[in-house]
Amino acid sequence: MPPAAPRLHLKLAMPSDPRYLPVVRGAIGPLAAAMGWDESDCLSITLALDEALANLIRHAYHSRVDGRIELECRENADGLEITLLDNGDAPDRTKICARAVACDQPGGLGTHIIKDVMDTVSYQATPEGNRFVATKRLKKTI
Amino acid sequence: MEIEGDVDLGTSPDLRRTLFETLVDAPKLALNLAAIRYIDSSGIATLIEVLKDSQRRKKEFVLFGLSPAVQQVFHLTHVMRIFQVFQTEEEALGSA
Repeated sequence: MPPAAPRLHLKLAMPSDPRYLPVVRGAIGPLAAAMGWDESDCLSITLALDEALANLIRHAYHSRVDGRIELECRENADGLEITLLDNGDAPDRTKICARAVACDQPGGLGTHIIKDVMDTVSYQATPEGNRFVATKRLKKTI
Repeated sequence: MEIEGDVDLGTSPDLRRTLFETLVDAPKLALNLAAIRYIDSSGIATLIEVLKDSQRRKKEFVLFGLSPAVQQVFHLTHVMRIFQVFQTEEEALGSA
């Protein structure tokens, strides 16, 4: 049996500083395009990851720029799995998607975007820190 | 008024400050988003805050020139209906 073909596995660590958000956006869009998503999906995936990182910066690290965030993007047989690990405050689950959709309040949009764009989203407290995992399936066309 | 670049967690506080200051002296603010390459939810939240401030001050805040990418974020966040959005500057400035 031949060995499985290697799949893309991107790992990086970044400070909890918004200055680095464009760096991650610049990587995830082309990554999603290379995996086969169209331009619209690539923007949605980029936005979902950007929102997840922004939430960690604002809520886990309270806008401190010296926190550490580890990011992994892993291609698998179904699509893409994104994992974020941080050592800040755990997310307040009562505030996740607490804002009503389609209202005119300015805050709380990010978690709705993540939920709408990604197929699965989970938040876990682990010994290594707070772990956010989101997956998106790639619909294959023949 | 025209803005350009990326509007995200890092840049939206400056945009918010600029728009609030501009709105103090202007009866109407038409914001050109044609040169915006990317906007996130903090940028959308900023625009909602400015809209609400304009309503409190009995002023007008309208948007025009939204690129397909910006329109996609507006649709994802379900906020298109709360703004007055126009295609061109002429339409935006001519709106009542």
